[in-house]
Amino acid sequence: MTQREMEQGDAKLGYFRSNHTWLYWALVIALVLSILIALGQGRYEIDFYSVSLILLENMAMVSESWKPVDERIVELIRLPRIIVAGIAGAGLAVAGAALQGIFKNPLVGPQIIGVSSGAAFGGAFAILVSESQVLLVSLAFVFGLLAIALVYIVSRQHGRASILMLVLSGIVISAFFSALVSLTKFVADPDDKLPAIVFWLMGSFASASYEKVLLIGLPVVFGIGVIYLLRFQLNVLSLGDEQAQSLGLEVEKIRWIVLAAIALVSAAVVAAAGVIGWVGLVIPHFSRMLCGPDHKVLIPISALVGAIYLIHVDTVARTVSPAEIPVGIITALIGAPIFAYLLRKASDKGWSAE
Amino acid sequence: MYLRFSVRHITKLLCSGWAFLLIFYSGVSGAAESIEFVDQRDRTIKLDGPAERVVTIPIPAASMFIAVDGGTDHLVGMHNLSKAAIKGRILGKFFPDSLSIPSNVTGKGFTFTPNVEELLKLNPDLVFQWGHLNDDIIDPLENAGLNVALIKIGKEAFTRKWLQIMGAVTGKEEKAKQLIAWRDSVAKEVADISKSIPDSEKPRTLYFMNYLSKLRVAGGKSYNNYYIDLAGGKNVASSLGMFAEVGIEQVLEWNPEVILLNGFEAKLSPEDLYKNELLADVSAVKNRRVYKMPLGGYRWDPPNQESPLTWLWLSMVLHPDKFEWDLTKRIDSSYQIMYGKGVTAADVENILRFDMNSTAANYQIFR
Amino acid sequence: MITVTNASVKYDNRFVFRDLGFTLPKGKIGAILGSNGRGKTSLLKAIVGLQKLTGGSIQTTGRIGYVAQKTEITFSYRVLDIVVMGRAPHVKMFRVPSVEDYEIARKTLTDLRLDHLIDQPYSRLSGGERQLVMIARALASECRILVLDEPTSALDLANQLVIFQALQKVAKKSGLTVLMTTHAPQQVSLMCEYVLLMYNTEESEWGEVDSTLNAENLERLYGIPMREVKVSSTEKTFVPLISTTET
Repeated sequence: MTQREMEQGDAKLGYFRSNHTWLYWALVIALVLSILIALGQGRYEIDFYSVSLILLENMAMVSESWKPVDERIVELIRLPRIIVAGIAGAGLAVAGAALQGIFKNPLVGPQIIGVSSGAAFGGAFAILVSESQVLLVSLAFVFGLLAIALVYIVSRQHGRASILMLVLSGIVISAFFSALVSLTKFVADPDDKLPAIVFWLMGSFASASYEKVLLIGLPVVFGIGVIYLLRFQLNVLSLGDEQAQSLGLEVEKIRWIVLAAIALVSAAVVAAAGVIGWVGLVIPHFSRMLCGPDHKVLIPISALVGAIYLIHVDTVARTVSPAEIPVGIITALIGAPIFAYLLRKASDKGWSAE
Repeated sequence: MYLRFSVRHITKLLCSGWAFLLIFYSGVSGAAESIEFVDQRDRTIKLDGPAERVVTIPIPAASMFIAVDGGTDHLVGMHNLSKAAIKGRILGKFFPDSLSIPSNVTGKGFTFTPNVEELLKLNPDLVFQWGHLNDDIIDPLENAGLNVALIKIGKEAFTRKWLQIMGAVTGKEEKAKQLIAWRDSVAKEVADISKSIPDSEKPRTLYFMNYLSKLRVAGGKSYNNYYIDLAGGKNVASSLGMFAEVGIEQVLEWNPEVILLNGFEAKLSPEDLYKNELLADVSAVKNRRVYKMPLGGYRWDPPNQESPLTWLWLSMVLHPDKFEWDLTKRIDSSYQIMYGKGVTAADVENILRFDMNSTAANYQIFR
Repeated sequence: MITVTNASVKYDNRFVFRDLGFTLPKGKIGAILGSNGRGKTSLLKAIVGLQKLTGGSIQTTGRIGYVAQKTEITFSYRVLDIVVMGRAPHVKMFRVPSVEDYEIARKTLTDLRLDHLIDQPYSRLSGGERQLVMIARALASECRILVLDEPTSALDLANQLVIFQALQKVAKKSGLTVLMTTHAPQQVSLMCEYVLLMYNTEESEWGEVDSTLNAENLERLYGIPMREVKVSSTEKTFVPLISTTET
């Protein structure tokens, strides 16, 4: 069955509500526009006409009317940075959406669940023992997954995980891994490894390059792919273990696959850009308001919204002042108040109990 | 809390008891006069005579103490990172004994919390500690009844105050005055020439506090800004505060004509910038005017006892046509004063980082 | 068919029930009665496979559909999307429901006369509608046995009737075996053919409703005096069981 036939089938069955197609197109156009706008913004002034010509030159013969430095800035500095920010945004948003699904709770995010601090420790430890970027991503992944697993085990009582237990377990596990990060810093060589660890932990898109695009892109795309393939299973899983199990779902197996995918995505983002909080919490929530909770639509919409969001946040971070503003500060300034609002709204609806 | 309170009380009582005995003793023997000075937190500290056993916790304080005191005989403990700057460097060559001075008075790495018991074993008369960080690194020292002098870092005036305090502590006030006067005279020498340089001829200069993992530059409130100005340059990042992270695009926008690389990132070399394709259009890179900061008795980039040499060096780097100091001679004579030792040509090449700077533009003037 | 033999369930070294046994024939509707905490839900979960037995065994034929007591779900999916989740047993890992799966889901909804709800978000449904959607989801899995945990406890009288009629209709039409727990003996006498009375941990009684569900047994079950009142109408005799205690 071709994609088109499937979509026709879905449309016939009313599965694909027509406004979703519309929403996809709107967001794809918004993403392209965001990238173009971001390419035209920066501390170094390049007029938009030159930016367009520089881009066009890759596809058609255009006489070079710009300085070589302009082309380098647009293609070697801004573009990889925008791509990394977009991938990170998409990854964090999808990881958040999937986490909220498997914990059947709309108020969890990669940060709350401890994966970020686990990945941070893995990365810091990797820097301590080697200079390999691959080892960095691998260890960030392993410890990110370990952190999620610990939070998952600690928070469950009689097969249930209340939001309170989740948040508390997340605090406990995050604190534990933060202590390990401090320990890593403590034993690191202060002339060499220590500054490298400290700066890596602060994280930023400033050092983006096409190598980083690959470094973050491959794991994130793979992770999002796995999560998207499991979109139907995520729907079932979000009903709760008992219902999912009675519907014949291999609950534990699927949950672990999704958790591993989430850890992979989060670790890659942490490895490339440091700990960026709140995106995975707020964006899926916002996306659900746009398109409803069905993961079939929610996953791609979250990815698009997350990418657009982080591209704009990073554009602000690199343009408003000569000094770089850490992206995490902006996402927290926007995310924390929204989370507080959601928390209050949620407690009215009784999510606090379950 | 009560325990801490009572311990303080008891130590104070004991100390005053000792003080009585000492005053009595000194009265009898007619020994050294007591010393009184004010530290950088405006606390008055009294010693019964020149300090014989000093411990320095702030990292640059060790080499400065050695410079003022003229040797390592009275330095009984230092920070492990102070030692790292001595080991294998010129001070290690001048004073091989310094390598056996204990450096375990704090934890390993970038921490300033004292190991009080290790410190007490050294039986110091005076401990230098940072005054601008939190008081938790000070209280344990005071609770143990130790004399503590608090010092701060940042401005040129602060550094002069360090010299003054260390002069008082060692009883070598004259030498401290001499070192301060040297700062004044060199600052004046350099300023006399640099003030006549029109703004348009002052090279746009950028100092990288970090380069390898992040780009962090020195802003207008940094000490680096002070000496870039003094030596006839223009700090392109002067609108920023102390140190700030910037994007590479911002560096391109500034397009600095001279780039200075910090001495802290040991592996960082001008080659790293020449190889960076993204910086290829920056004037300093195109004209090979990227310089690693020298490292003498201490790193030349932060304020220290050798700062006048930094100013002389930088003025020549910025304006090779306008400043013609004999830097080798200057290093030699000032080292004679500070450390009582002279330098060889090889030492100078080492200090000026010829290993990294030899292919930079105009650097042969230092040979 | 459901056959339970010498089944026991233990929590924290305390038996919930012990050596319990019964057989519910294919196509019949059975009910489980018992006061709170007797282990009705544990027994259902054991049959569905969500609860491990401490001893004994349970044999069932064909797929089991389960409708839990709790009908809230965190995310308010559309009704069709919820019912299609009943197709999960037929959807492989990393796959999504096919067009056929959607057809079956739609047909199930039509059979239960719920077509008008297809595009509604779950949160907008009434309690009775939610229960029906949950039943539809179970039926969409093409189960041969349907197990329901207090399907009517949260519903008003009219909705209770709707649910029961729907269940009766499905059982008759497709030979579905239905087992449910309830707190309403009257409904059992009206709708069910078999009943299990769980008196206490050790003792229970299984039998056809006509012979088992009487005042004497119910007095024993709930520990309150009960009385049968025969009401005759033109079509059939109705035997309500009412409590005789003063309230």
